[in-house]
Amino acid sequence: MTRLAPVAAVAADGDLYRAAPKIYPREQDGRFQRLRHTAVVVLLGLYYVMPWLTWNGRQAVLFDLPARRFYILGLTFWPQDFFYLTWLLILAGLSLFFFTALAGRLWCGYACPQTVWTEVFLWMERWTEGDRNKRMKLDAAPWSAEKLARKGGKQALWITFALWTGFTFVGFFTPIRELGPRVLTFTIGPWETFWTLFYSVATYGNAGYLREQVCKYMCPYARFQGAMFDPNTLVIAYDPARGEPRGSRRRGTDYKAAGLGDCIDCTLCVQVCPTGIDIRDGLQYECIACGACIDACDAVMDKVAYPRGLVRYATEESLAGHASHILRPRVIVYGLLLAAGFGAFGWSVTHRVPLIVDVVRDRNALYRVASDGAIENAYTLKIMNKVDVARSFVIMLEEEREGGEEEEEGEDDTSVTIAGGSPLEVTVQPGEVLAVPVTLRAAAGHIHGRGDVEFIVEAKDEPGVHYEAESRFFGPAR
Amino acid sequence: MHRRDDDPLPEIQRWGAVVWPSFFAAGVATMFFFAMFDPAELSRIAWIGVEVDRQWGYTIGFFLFWVCTFSASLFTSLLLRGRR
Repeated sequence: MTRLAPVAAVAADGDLYRAAPKIYPREQDGRFQRLRHTAVVVLLGLYYVMPWLTWNGRQAVLFDLPARRFYILGLTFWPQDFFYLTWLLILAGLSLFFFTALAGRLWCGYACPQTVWTEVFLWMERWTEGDRNKRMKLDAAPWSAEKLARKGGKQALWITFALWTGFTFVGFFTPIRELGPRVLTFTIGPWETFWTLFYSVATYGNAGYLREQVCKYMCPYARFQGAMFDPNTLVIAYDPARGEPRGSRRRGTDYKAAGLGDCIDCTLCVQVCPTGIDIRDGLQYECIACGACIDACDAVMDKVAYPRGLVRYATEESLAGHASHILRPRVIVYGLLLAAGFGAFGWSVTHRVPLIVDVVRDRNALYRVASDGAIENAYTLKIMNKVDVARSFVIMLEEEREGGEEEEEGEDDTSVTIAGGSPLEVTVQPGEVLAVPVTLRAAAGHIHGRGDVEFIVEAKDEPGVHYEAESRFFGPAR
Repeated sequence: MHRRDDDPLPEIQRWGAVVWPSFFAAGVATMFFFAMFDPAELSRIAWIGVEVDRQWGYTIGFFLFWVCTFSASLFTSLLLRGRR
């Protein structure tokens, strides 16, 4: 793979490599920025508050890795429920397709942790170092007491916030109400310390310094999003037909007669861009769809009394003057798949059977002949209780459940039965996988070759909670 | 890694392209692996002679996966920079 650098990109001193220049995004207010702020507050609010909520006396959301169980509100998930996580990840991927096809990088602009945390770090930078111009001046100025105070204040805020973020992260995995006091008394364990610091450093570095470079150089989504776009996708776009030719003009002059478009070339859209691009050059992979340029341009349009929307959410089709179809087969199919996927997920999670049974046949012998000539097969039943309290289960055979009455009438026991009497009863602790040895027997001469048996395990207090597991029963060949 | 003059990529991009995907892959691998295998059980049957509890098991497992994926990504990146 050879990629030639365009000649213009080579600096005059012949150096092919230049460090990415620091970007000082200008602060901007407007519809999209208010929406973004709301998203930041809601998402980070959830992140920082959730571990502190309780549900039935325990932490509402706790990923208890040492105990190998996840608590999410009223539900408890075990490693055996891993399937749900996989499903959820698939749904997340599909959601990304859906939203990208519909309106571009909504994820980046509003929900991605990278942009969300970067936004908060930018706020802290503004509180301590001031607006864009002040920040640029401060960076260019020699060190002084004021610069030290401002930079120091920023670092103090950043580091505190990053540490709190790391602490919260670990609080999802270890009860946060116990973790807090342990942090204060310096009795926190080594792995907790490690992950708190790891996550803090990652937050500090990514949101404080790397920022848009993560999106530009590290994010795979930025690279393949193009494949999810089509001419009917809503993207943030500059309307060149209306704006060009751009140029400054004096207030009150007839700019149209002078051959100018609506763009007054104030470059505010460039100054507010957190990734440092010029939206007027068209859609670029660096654009994280934050909408700051829309807000900046709308404010300018209001000021010069031109209609808003020179930079706006538009489709490629509409910019070319064609009709655009937002609701198109692609979006509808994604939407239906997504609705079905989430519906099935919700149903499945709420209708989980809190019990898993696995039957393992004795590997050493196909069958055993008892002293009375009966044929015996040995099994191990692995019973997992997925509720938070100990539970009693009865083990029986499908044949017995249906034919139970007949047997009591003294019918010949042609069928297979549980040796030692049925039903068998066991108590399983919460989250425990209990291995229960079970022997099945059939009277002499009744079973030849291979037959199917079906075990039924049922909660004693709730017959609705039951599990059927199939296995084989072997006898001598005829 | 040292930057070379014929390298069109900024250094940070090269590192990002190695660190981030390998981190992600290691995370996914860790999740799948430990959903299937309990680290406490693995420690019991392993010949390492030290007691490793679950937290350490997860942590060691994650970094072991990361070392593997990181090495692979790094090696790919070195091979792709062309020769001279």
